[in-house]
Amino acid sequence: MSSTNTENTGYKSYLEEDGGRKGIFKWILSTDHKRIGLLYLYAMMGWFCIGVVLGLLMKLELIAPGKTIMEAQAYNATFTVHGVIMIFLIVIPGIPAVFGNFMLPIQIGAKDVFFPRLNLFSWYIYVLGGILVIISLFGNGPPDTGWTFYAPYSFKTGTNMLPAALGAFVLGFSSILTGLNFIVTIHRMRAPGMTWFKMPLFTWTLYGTGWIQLLATPIIGITLLMVAGERILGIGFFDPAKGGDPLLYQHLFWIYSHPAVYIMILPAMGAVSEIIPTFAKKTIFGYKAIVFSTLAIAFVGYFVWGHHMYTSGMSGASLWAFSLLTFLVAIPSAIKVFNWISTMHQGSISVEVPFLWAASFIFIFMIGGLTGLVLGALATDVHLHDTAFVVAHFHFIVFGGVGFAFFGAIHYWFSKIFGRKYDPSWAKTGWITFFIGFVTLYGPMFYLGIKGMPRRYFDYLDEFHGPNIISTLGALVMITGFLIILVNLVKSARKGEKTSEMNPWGGTNLEWQVPTPPPLENFDEIPVIDKATYKYD
Amino acid sequence: MKRTLLASLLIIVLIPLLAQNDEYIEIGVIEKLDQYIPMDAMLVDENGDTVTIGDLIDKPTILNFVYYRCPGICSPLMNGLAEAMDGNDLVLGEDYQALTISFDAREGTFLAVKKKNNYLNLAEKKEEVKNGWHFFTSDSASIARLTEAAGFRYKATGNDFIHSATLIILDPKGKITRYMNGIYFLPFELKMSLIEAAEGKSGPTINRVLQYCYSYDPEGQKYMLNITKVSATLILFFAAVLLLVLFFFRKRKTKNI
Repeated sequence: MSSTNTENTGYKSYLEEDGGRKGIFKWILSTDHKRIGLLYLYAMMGWFCIGVVLGLLMKLELIAPGKTIMEAQAYNATFTVHGVIMIFLIVIPGIPAVFGNFMLPIQIGAKDVFFPRLNLFSWYIYVLGGILVIISLFGNGPPDTGWTFYAPYSFKTGTNMLPAALGAFVLGFSSILTGLNFIVTIHRMRAPGMTWFKMPLFTWTLYGTGWIQLLATPIIGITLLMVAGERILGIGFFDPAKGGDPLLYQHLFWIYSHPAVYIMILPAMGAVSEIIPTFAKKTIFGYKAIVFSTLAIAFVGYFVWGHHMYTSGMSGASLWAFSLLTFLVAIPSAIKVFNWISTMHQGSISVEVPFLWAASFIFIFMIGGLTGLVLGALATDVHLHDTAFVVAHFHFIVFGGVGFAFFGAIHYWFSKIFGRKYDPSWAKTGWITFFIGFVTLYGPMFYLGIKGMPRRYFDYLDEFHGPNIISTLGALVMITGFLIILVNLVKSARKGEKTSEMNPWGGTNLEWQVPTPPPLENFDEIPVIDKATYKYD
Repeated sequence: MKRTLLASLLIIVLIPLLAQNDEYIEIGVIEKLDQYIPMDAMLVDENGDTVTIGDLIDKPTILNFVYYRCPGICSPLMNGLAEAMDGNDLVLGEDYQALTISFDAREGTFLAVKKKNNYLNLAEKKEEVKNGWHFFTSDSASIARLTEAAGFRYKATGNDFIHSATLIILDPKGKITRYMNGIYFLPFELKMSLIEAAEGKSGPTINRVLQYCYSYDPEGQKYMLNITKVSATLILFFAAVLLLVLFFFRKRKTKNI
């Protein structure tokens, strides 16, 4: 760990600036982008804990064939609510809402985002969406449609599907407004001299993500409104009995939800692109290649939704086209992996906690990506569709990708955000436990899927028993790791050793040139950028 | 008379089923979309002159088959047509025309003229009806060719006929583009089907926009707002505007400096 900057003490940090408000109001009425980022972080921590518990319950149910701890209906509700919480409340807003809010303005040399009030408003919408999801748990019982709300079941189920879908709809607005805010901020508020190609890669990924949020999210909003129209008014968009088409729902849903995977993963890639060069002490390899691959993923990602529907009934030509495009979108992802590895090559690597998370991200992401190609191929997908293989792939990409990058990012920027240090030995213990647990949890599911175990069933054949036991044990190990990480971070944020070291890792971006923790408006004077970032001596 | 009326009403109810599912029906409509009516079929117009239907069709055309002595659904059908034509803003005689043909070969010009005068007296847009809604009779061979080409099937019962109530929309070349069944027609739907028949070329721009936003639902046999197309256009439009504003209006906000 290097210390290239002097300590800075004679100022008030954003944590001390309360705007004359007391208690919770200095948080929920603040338009400071850093506090808003933390508001998202705290809300997501709560949601994540609920999602983890639901996930654990499912794994406990699957530890043996037949009913173990819950009935089929309860299992259906559990995987639905687990999915809705994890997808709509955590991984989609995830890194942009927390670290994007906190770091984006600082990384481009701005005092705040372009629309600070809108930023706070987005958080309120996020909370409202969360409340609707909570409401869906009561009354007629939690929804049991799966997080995809597939028609025609979604408008026929007697469970509380509507509040959950409405929650996802409202959360979409939060996502759109955040995306809009980031795009305008990046266009309008970059410091003098910060040209497009001097911008940090994390900011670049937020830019790509912003456009996806803006263009794709309205589609899910309209789709969920159509489902509401279907349930309340019986319009018949998706009901074959009324001339509707259930496949239309699937198309609309995935036109949004596939780009949404890139909303999740692009900022994760951005965070990893920050961590790797910092700890390799080496200029990032192929900066422009990473930038263009980010934009390529954002663009091509719009045209691959059909690969979720190979078995739903489409023309041969459509299947062929979607499969080809799916293979194409793997190319920019692979470019990034090559760039990260090339950056590490012959670097002066310091193996700190954030680096461990970033390196394991690459490992996990590669497995997730390559198994994605197995599913993107037409013939193999027919065999693996709706099996545990898909669940494993999905979690390697979404949880492995976003989760590992998120933990990497929080360890990377922890001292900058909280002005305190975490305990590195506990952090490393947490990481290795989590990593082993993760692979043990999801690894066997690839095997189970290939052997034909379907997803979304609370029961299975006896022949699947062994791998399911391993998987459940993996879940317990992973959750132990998560608890170690969580306790370490929460404890450190509250009572950890204070630090005002500006640049503990020797990073080159602007966030490492502002005090720790940053002042309210980040910079006394807007900096003038005269050299490219990621330049190490 | 009562039996005829009852049978006719029954047919109206059954038309959607019959029209789509049964090629061998005796009475009703077999939809022959995208097929042409015989343009050389002979008709006798309101002046007693013999014309071919090809001489008449030069614009989107509403074709309907009735018989003028009809005690049943012919009058409700034509009333419905008259109301829908009154209620839309396309100009009858200019933008489109209506041709009513008697499928009873025994009827002559006198009855056709009498029928036209009835509707002329009732219509609000008298001049348009005079110029744009024409009533014809014909010989049995021509009637058979026309009705068969249009998929219109009827049956004689004594002195009367059992038949369906249907409007057939033709494009300016005589191709069948739409069937509208029943006796009540929304002016908007009639307008949309005529715009579609004209392939969007003869109407003003707003009609093309309408045609883009609405598509025909063959199941429900009406025009539906194409919500996905409209939404996608709006999303892309606003995104494009944002992009243009961000790239071409480069005012740096002073609050950051």
